[in-house]
Amino acid sequence: MSADPLAMVSRIAGAGLEAQSYRLRVVSENIANAQSTGGTEGADPYRRKTVVFGAELDRELGALTVEVKRTAVDDTPFTVEYDPGHPAANAQGEVKMPNVNLLVEMADMREANLSYEANLQMMKRARSMVSMTIDLLRSGS
Amino acid sequence: MISGLDGVTGTDAKRLVTPGIAAANGVDPSFEAVFARIAATARDTMKAGEAAAISGVKGDASVQEVVRAMMTAEQQLRAAIAVRDRVVAAYQEVSRMQI
Repeated sequence: MSADPLAMVSRIAGAGLEAQSYRLRVVSENIANAQSTGGTEGADPYRRKTVVFGAELDRELGALTVEVKRTAVDDTPFTVEYDPGHPAANAQGEVKMPNVNLLVEMADMREANLSYEANLQMMKRARSMVSMTIDLLRSGS
Repeated sequence: MISGLDGVTGTDAKRLVTPGIAAANGVDPSFEAVFARIAATARDTMKAGEAAAISGVKGDASVQEVVRAMMTAEQQLRAAIAVRDRVVAAYQEVSRMQI
């Protein structure tokens, strides 16, 4: 629908910014819950969340924008710690800890950050191109 | 556009418009109509930007959405101002013409 490709760029990049901020939100959730165990005996602890992105056709725009399809959970097994005094400890005194790996989360965070910056640069570039074109009208008197 | 200046003898601004762009796509090509359309688009975009800013302050919209809407409004305004400046300059040019 929209005829101006540069306006489309800023919308597409905007969708990218939203998606990457959502991803950072999930990373922060994972990091914050890295020690969240269950409350009852043998209960499962926090399970690491992941984000699934997908291309989504924006009909109003006529372009593919990125969208968070869903948040999935990581199926890797929980680590087990020996802590008999813990309320979530089972009969063997083992407590299941969340399957959050801080190193992986940090890498994910950096990637989200870099993608965010890339989308931001895209927006900046489109903006400066539009400004340059408008300035043509201005200074060419 | 120079050929369109033949119409300056009349008072009707519509005659200033070159025939090439006249009513080709069913829109009124007169100067007033074109400028009114530009102004209306600019106004709508600015209203959208303002609404986005307000919902951003309220916490309903994300920062990215607010910034994008404001940026679009700003660019629209800049374009409208540039067009207005050119139009005013053109009118002044005509009014300064030696008779």
